[in-house]
Amino acid sequence: MPSVSEIAGVEEAAEVLAGAAGRGERVSIGRDGGEVVLSTAGLDRVLEHEAGDLTVIVEAGVRIRDLNERLAGHGQMLALDPPGNPTIGACIAANLSGPRRHRYGTARDLVIGVTVVLADGTIASSGGKVVKNVAGYDLGKLFCGSEGRLGLIARVAVRLHPLPEATRTLVVPVGSAEDAATRARAILRAPVAASAVDLLWPGRLAVLFEGGRRGVEEQVDTVRSLVGGRDDDSVWAQIEQRQAAAPGRRLFSPGRLAEALAGLDEAIVRVSAGVAYVPGAVDDQRDPAEAALAERVRAQFDPAGTLI
Amino acid sequence: MELAGELRRLLPAGAVIEEPEQLRTYECDGLTGHRMIPALVVLPETTGQVQAVVRACQAARVPFVARGAGTGLSGGALPVADGVVIALTRMNRILEVDLEGARIVVQPGVTNLQVTETVIGDGFYYAPDPSSQQVCTIGGNVAENSGGAHCLKYGFTVNHVLGLLVVLPDGGTVRLSADTPGPDLLGVFVGSEGTLGIATEITLRLLRRPEAVRTVLAAFDSTDAAGATVSGIVSAGILASAMEIMDRLTIEAAEAAVHPGYPAAGALLLVELDGPALQVEEDLAAVEAICRGCGAWEIRTAADDHERALLWKGRKSAFAAMGRVSSDYYVQDGVVPRTKLPEVLRRIAELEAEFGLRVGNVFHAGDGNLHPLVLYDSRVDGEPERARALAEAILEACIDAGGSLTGEHGIGVDKACSMPLLFGADDLEAMQRVRRAFDPSGLCNPGKVFPTPRLCGEVPGPYRAHPLEKAGLAERL
Repeated sequence: MPSVSEIAGVEEAAEVLAGAAGRGERVSIGRDGGEVVLSTAGLDRVLEHEAGDLTVIVEAGVRIRDLNERLAGHGQMLALDPPGNPTIGACIAANLSGPRRHRYGTARDLVIGVTVVLADGTIASSGGKVVKNVAGYDLGKLFCGSEGRLGLIARVAVRLHPLPEATRTLVVPVGSAEDAATRARAILRAPVAASAVDLLWPGRLAVLFEGGRRGVEEQVDTVRSLVGGRDDDSVWAQIEQRQAAAPGRRLFSPGRLAEALAGLDEAIVRVSAGVAYVPGAVDDQRDPAEAALAERVRAQFDPAGTLI
Repeated sequence: MELAGELRRLLPAGAVIEEPEQLRTYECDGLTGHRMIPALVVLPETTGQVQAVVRACQAARVPFVARGAGTGLSGGALPVADGVVIALTRMNRILEVDLEGARIVVQPGVTNLQVTETVIGDGFYYAPDPSSQQVCTIGGNVAENSGGAHCLKYGFTVNHVLGLLVVLPDGGTVRLSADTPGPDLLGVFVGSEGTLGIATEITLRLLRRPEAVRTVLAAFDSTDAAGATVSGIVSAGILASAMEIMDRLTIEAAEAAVHPGYPAAGALLLVELDGPALQVEEDLAAVEAICRGCGAWEIRTAADDHERALLWKGRKSAFAAMGRVSSDYYVQDGVVPRTKLPEVLRRIAELEAEFGLRVGNVFHAGDGNLHPLVLYDSRVDGEPERARALAEAILEACIDAGGSLTGEHGIGVDKACSMPLLFGADDLEAMQRVRRAFDPSGLCNPGKVFPTPRLCGEVPGPYRAHPLEKAGLAERL
């Protein structure tokens, strides 16, 4: 039976990791495997929120929804909306994102600083708590998508955005792959600033607008006049559910949406990013040289292979 | 030199520079205080040629430094003694324009502005706009993770690079993409200041031109009032695309140099809004009201591109204009949390008095990025040293306020010895692990970013707790 360690602080994490490495045990973070399973559930404090700076520093076990409830009181939000209610650490480790990546980007675009604990117990920080910062290598970005293999993400500083005054959703029915691509193109080229443009394939396009009340209404009218559609906020819950049930990801060139759809039976498609969530496993479309380089980085961070 | 013969054999005629007079062109970048004449400069035209040069350097154990337009301000492209400079200016082709996918593939020697010029007719543009955008190259932007006045809303180079073809320090190539599984190697490469390899193909995101752009210039009695306005705009939930402040000294210098017709104010605030027309009008009315509420006594709004350019003219020429009021100046690039701006500006005023030198302040107020211009006269004994000491004291004030050493100019050689002010030994060692994975030989742009005993002496600077560490400690009390 693996021992489960629910760590409550960065130093404790360093002790547990250094101890396990010393005993030659293998450690997994937030999932099964190895002799030691590290849980960040106890790392759940919001450490610093200076509203005027639109930044927050949290421990990695804080859940997105809990954080956003707290930030809403200050008229702010962390613009990350992956399915479920993952921790901020999981969002980074798996580079999770949701529909609003269209406007705000993914975890890598919002992280401005991290404190990590490496497999040998070394505690290291990079970045900071200011949004604009080019001092040193950006380990926060490196750890995005690292799947717990480079170290434990312990503390995270992220950029926040103002909570919009108004939100509206337009759902547009689409027919063939060509029709979907034509309508998506019209939306992306319209003089609007949408927060999300998702395709529920086959069937519908969903467009989210956020901003001032009048501005949002004008944008909805503009897009409706181009491609039709009607208001339906409930679509985002369906998208969340379908994305969660389809963890496979396929990348395509966003300029070739129609071709990409031709090969898909069912998918949630982030049209501007060129990402389709499909049933099945994640499709590793990496250049083999990138995978090899990633392995060299991993071997530098965890030469003993402690983290699995 | 044996390597020279080898490189001449590998490259087209005229692509290897050995003449001392020609080599001098490459002795420094925009940080002109540091100079070093390289052994050789090569001008490759293809990825294959870059690979061949890197492999030849590896075989001869000679360090190499990639260089774009040489506009960097931290010495990132400073040659290494007896090393090779790989100048990418001949790799200046646009490889693919994909308007349907809103992306463009370019070689590293393409200039920043050229990208926008290529697609503007179709209603697209490239968002990051460093002030050197007419000449600086995309390859250099990738190395430095360049920002610009509009990164407040749109982010930095790293948020707009979708893919890279990189020649690794061993001469092999790798394609890096933003959305692939595994660690974000693309994200760590951008901003690594040429120390992890050489990007030879760069895929950039293009944005649709906004329907409307409005620019407001507001005059205040003090930088405190202008700063309070910025806070007011942020708390109102308005995401401006740029918010810039100039202080009295900078306004006077700009007026003398380019006559933008600015009001004679204690501080000027420039706010730019862009987006769908009605949204911009809504925000514009709110911004003007906030300015008045904070004591603005004159507000100008640009009605067209021509008027907009006029409002920006003084700001964009602020650095150059300083030449009118001072023979020499030293530019700093500190960052502070936006809410700490008034505190740090007061500290800078104290330091001016303490050191007996003047400081002009121009800053990207929206993201707390200060560009203090420390004025001095290099002909006066001891002034250059005092200016340098004052500039360093300003940086320390920024770090004490929870900020950073550099917002957009990079560490290079200029601030390598200051890195221990912000990062502890373990932090720097973790970054070195990345370095060793990409460049085990250590021949790719050595001596940049990280402090070395040779560069900085054996004694590290006083370490201050990292902002994230501080946040953690504070909670435990």
